[in-house]
Amino acid sequence: MNPPAQVVCRFQVNGDVRECAVAPNTTLLEALRYGLGLTGSKQGCDKGDCGACTVVMDGAPVLACITLALACEGRLITTVEGLAHGATPHPLQDAFDVCGGAQCGFCTPGVLMSAWALLEHNPSPTRAEIALALSGNLCRCTGYTKIFEAVELAATRRSVATADGKS
Amino acid sequence: MLTLPAFEWVRPRTLEEALEFLAAHAGQCLIVAGGTDAVPNLKHRLHDPAYVVHLSGIRELAFVRESADGLELGPLVTLTALSGDARVRRDYPSLARAASLVASPQIRNMGTLGGNLCLDTRCTYYNQTFFWREALGFCLKKEGTVCHVVPQGRRCVAAHSSDVAPVLISLGASVEIARSGGRRSISLDEFFVGDGIHNNVLEPGEMIVRVSVPARARGLRVGYQKLRPRAAIDFPMLSVAFTARVDGARCEEARLVVSALGAKPRVIGGVDALVKGQPLDEALAESLAQVAYRQCRPLTNVAYDDDWRHEMVPVFVRRAVRDAIAGGVS
Amino acid sequence: MSRAKDEAARVPDPRVPSGRQMPEENRLTPPVWPGGRTAAPGTDFSVIGRRNRKLEGLAKVTGRAVFADDLSLPRMLHGKLLRSIHAHARIRSIDPSAALAMPGVHAVITGRDLPAWFGIIPWTEDEQALCEEKARYVGDAIAAVAADTELAAEEALRLIRVEYEVLPAVTSIDEALEHPEWKVNEKAREGNISKHVHLEFGDVDARIADSDEVIEGEYWYEGSTHAPIEPHCAIADFDATGFLTLYSSTQVAHYLHRDLARVLGLPTQRVRVIQPVVGGAFGGKSEPFSLEFCAARLSMDLGRPVKILYTREEVFYAHRGRHPMRMRYRTGIRRDGTLTGVDAKIHIDGGAYSSFGLVTTYYSGQLLSAPYKMEAYRFDSTRVFTNKPCCGPKRGHGSVQPRFAFECQIDKLAEAVGLDPIEVRRRNFIGENSRTVNGMRVTSNGFLECLEQVERASAWKERFRRMPYGRGVGVAGSMYISGTNYCIYPNEMPQSGVQLKLDRSGRATVFCGASDIGQGVESVLAYIVAEELGLTLGDIRVVAADTDLTPVDLGSYSSRETFMVGNACLDAARRLRGLVVGTLAEAWGCAPAEVKLAGGIASTARDAERERMSVKEAFQRTEARHGTLGSVGWYQTPRLGGDYRGGTIGASPAYSFTAHVAEVDCDPETGFIQVKKIWVAHDCGRALNPVAVEGQMEGSAYMGFAEALFEEQVFKPATAAHGAGLHHGPSLLDYRIPTSLDTPELESLIVESVDPEGPYGAKEAGEGPLHPSVPAIANAIYDALGIRCDRLPFSPPHVLRLLRAGDARAVWQKARGQRSGHVPAGARG
Repeated sequence: MNPPAQVVCRFQVNGDVRECAVAPNTTLLEALRYGLGLTGSKQGCDKGDCGACTVVMDGAPVLACITLALACEGRLITTVEGLAHGATPHPLQDAFDVCGGAQCGFCTPGVLMSAWALLEHNPSPTRAEIALALSGNLCRCTGYTKIFEAVELAATRRSVATADGKS
Repeated sequence: MLTLPAFEWVRPRTLEEALEFLAAHAGQCLIVAGGTDAVPNLKHRLHDPAYVVHLSGIRELAFVRESADGLELGPLVTLTALSGDARVRRDYPSLARAASLVASPQIRNMGTLGGNLCLDTRCTYYNQTFFWREALGFCLKKEGTVCHVVPQGRRCVAAHSSDVAPVLISLGASVEIARSGGRRSISLDEFFVGDGIHNNVLEPGEMIVRVSVPARARGLRVGYQKLRPRAAIDFPMLSVAFTARVDGARCEEARLVVSALGAKPRVIGGVDALVKGQPLDEALAESLAQVAYRQCRPLTNVAYDDDWRHEMVPVFVRRAVRDAIAGGVS
Repeated sequence: MSRAKDEAARVPDPRVPSGRQMPEENRLTPPVWPGGRTAAPGTDFSVIGRRNRKLEGLAKVTGRAVFADDLSLPRMLHGKLLRSIHAHARIRSIDPSAALAMPGVHAVITGRDLPAWFGIIPWTEDEQALCEEKARYVGDAIAAVAADTELAAEEALRLIRVEYEVLPAVTSIDEALEHPEWKVNEKAREGNISKHVHLEFGDVDARIADSDEVIEGEYWYEGSTHAPIEPHCAIADFDATGFLTLYSSTQVAHYLHRDLARVLGLPTQRVRVIQPVVGGAFGGKSEPFSLEFCAARLSMDLGRPVKILYTREEVFYAHRGRHPMRMRYRTGIRRDGTLTGVDAKIHIDGGAYSSFGLVTTYYSGQLLSAPYKMEAYRFDSTRVFTNKPCCGPKRGHGSVQPRFAFECQIDKLAEAVGLDPIEVRRRNFIGENSRTVNGMRVTSNGFLECLEQVERASAWKERFRRMPYGRGVGVAGSMYISGTNYCIYPNEMPQSGVQLKLDRSGRATVFCGASDIGQGVESVLAYIVAEELGLTLGDIRVVAADTDLTPVDLGSYSSRETFMVGNACLDAARRLRGLVVGTLAEAWGCAPAEVKLAGGIASTARDAERERMSVKEAFQRTEARHGTLGSVGWYQTPRLGGDYRGGTIGASPAYSFTAHVAEVDCDPETGFIQVKKIWVAHDCGRALNPVAVEGQMEGSAYMGFAEALFEEQVFKPATAAHGAGLHHGPSLLDYRIPTSLDTPELESLIVESVDPEGPYGAKEAGEGPLHPSVPAIANAIYDALGIRCDRLPFSPPHVLRLLRAGDARAVWQKARGQRSGHVPAGARG
């Protein structure tokens, strides 16, 4: 079968409106990585088993490697590149750096997106809630301990910052 | 990476539009909602559709409604929405529980109720790449002629692997099926058929448009138990749904459904006779466990010790019944 | 098994007296620094030992780190490999014409285009990038395509016609031994034997005869694979000048450089290997793979860049993971807890090729001889070829399996003589500055403190043999190398080199071939330079693993990086530090030792007002005084090891030591084992950055736990009606690595013995802490349920079968009675 025609698809990614040509069989991950140059999201398992490709779509973490790009037209997408404010890392990213939450760093973008979505809905999660929220993100380096600590640190810092802001 | 094959793309805006397209291209379409099953299967070249009909644009199918008859669920409700819905949690806790145990958080955010019900059957000899299946020599379900689970078997025994289906069957749910110019309703138990190649009654051009859980299922004592090696991501390698109507201290009726064995969830026979008039207690759990053990025979379609899975049938039935004794599932 | 005997006969005298060592020789003797290598440059450390960030951390958490597949070059094509669908088959013919005719397809290559043999160990070069005559496992690469897109390349693969002659497949150790005529690998000198090692130290039989209790056990360690989350990826770019650049997710850029040049027929000076950020390796990227050669060949043929990215399935076929091992141990003990003789017979399933197998076979015995004294030790190890993906070095190469068996043996022996298993380990402690029975020099040794730490932290004395049925604790210990003396190809050059550049901008740049695979070796380089030159971490740049720009370091394997790269870097940095403090001492009229460099400031204590300037200014003064500032440092191992064939294998300049206690909660109804917690105490010499060390300890303990309970790299047997040799499930769905919900709580307890030869006293932390996980869990299961799990993995079906095979409850009860009636002599306070 001949390759089907590509069409220009419009994405709302990290606050920008971006366009790129995709075919029906282009996954969101391919569109992000190879079409839009957003290589932060990773491909680890090919088919939804590892979570390295996790991006947040309309507030919920989803797997970009098994999402068809054309189905994302008009949806709000946030990738790991969208967390920082300009050159300043997001507090969650900073906490991962401080705690050693990233070793090889390959699962990290996906883990961060799941953790970010969790903290948006639940600013002070228990460790059990963190483990559950990250249960679709396989990490092969850390044994998860430092990842949990990083999410907890980010939550603590945020609650301190919020308290300071109110006072 | 593992590529997707080429296909054409259709994203209808309304149900009518979808049904018309399906009718016009019957047999050439793969319906995709969340895509968590269909897309990996496409990557494995298990389907070769001319068209992918993507339902994500049909907002009207993502509803949760209460009515006098019970609860009505749209097929595009995500599993996350289903497990988090206050009405579902209150009235049908085993359904919320089952939905919350599917795969991983991301997959529950993407995957839909309709998709989970229409999940393609699974088998260790089938859910593999084209290369792998070629090295095996293919199988009855796709491109081949032999069954590797049941040698000389003529019928595919790939396993039904939905978490929510056995629970919905235990609750007496029904589905409404639409095609261009017509609708029909059928109990979910009858929706599934014992053929691993195509394990439901959907004809080309048809799709599920509503799932109804009867009002009388409210107040049942329920349980759901799922067996899997890891606490996330894995499909069930055995699942048990149990419901009982208890009046005072005695059971009036009960339903026990065991799945992830063959192509169709197995409704255990003889349960009503066993429970009627009996107290819902540990002794009853044990009798139900033994009945289920006799009626279920796990196969090697799931790549995990089948004798052990058989041993786990009574264990998980007991645990599901204990959920019900304890007053539900947490 | 006549084969094994013949091989043994070739070893002149396998019985060698213990304690002999290689002749001393001065080779590239490292400089001696005041206060030694373990001391801080000034009075105390300002960077080392702090919980610093990693150099590349922010790049990784912001998605800016560039991994191989994140690279895309202009005009780049995509390559794919055609792989054998048979476990063992002669390739009669390959017809690529239909594939070549497909639009978008640019080239197809086969074995004839890359005929050279290669292999990571020069003595066993038995691989070709694409099989020319024969495929040896399902997934063995036989052709490669370059096309415009991955999809076109994949579709083209299906159009290549291959005619096979299917041969009998060998899928188990026993088949390999019983059917030497079904020769898997033609490079084997006899039958399917890949390597045989027989070594004996002391009189084993006499020592065992002289024991009060002797335990014999057979153990099975199932194969497992690294499963880094990043699949292998390589991009080759051959330019018009005849120069090849290869970007690859490798952990051994130097070895890849050598083999690429040789296989492609290019001079090494015309090949450049660049390692981008690597997304996990664990030993799985420590040798050249088909994709690198094929991308290079295709790029050379087409004059365009070619990328090959493995699918997850292909990563399982590339493998080089943990060898399945069948191990028989006979071990004696005396009533006082002294271990007497150890007798091991080991069979190793190597898969189709040699890989590091020669070393694996030695390691299966050589790395067991500490932390416990042994009076006599014998091991007989045989690695066989089978028609399965090739095994190799996975984290804890070769020694994780025997460590499992041996630590379970100790648990059984302790029970047999009625001693607490921690006490038995304590009583047999080999000590610091000692020598193992097989002639390995042990210097620093913090094993006793490791035992004490896990004993205390886990409340061992209150829990062992005292918890209710189903719950239990278990202990195990281990040792591991900090790099190996054994050099993969014979040469007298340094194992590790560093070039350091300072300039008037106030920046330091470190150039080193070291391979950061997530463990943080680039940061180690920066910490050392920061410590020595008083810089802040942001003022240091590390250029690593680029064979054009960086001096050779042999790469990230055998836990060598911190020790060897660290030492090389320390010397380079101290040389420049000497110039800087010398210049300032001259200017200020003080002794060099009085000059302090820290936090970006150079100063003295005696006059902090006037004798103070920025380090940047100090560099400028030094540059003015001495000219352009640069230095080199290198590390070469001293001659170590036993004076016998193979005696350098297992020799290391320093050994790390570990002890674990694992706590389990078991479900006797299903067989499910939940590991609640693992306490990990590890002697890393000195923690250059405790965060990174803890990360290695936790990651190691996790990976051991994963092998103990979940992971199996297994294949359909030759007797299968269909698909003999086929991987059971080459995906991250079917190959189950633990999720965040499955992984136990992990508590790291760092022990610092300060090694006299390590950089600031540091030793390895990346592999040692994996070893005790598996036996500690097995021993905890015994404490919980009264069953001995001697086979991996401890899956629920396996556990349930063991529970039903005997009267586990009675065994459990008996073990308890013994504990309560006995007060271990070592339980002081």
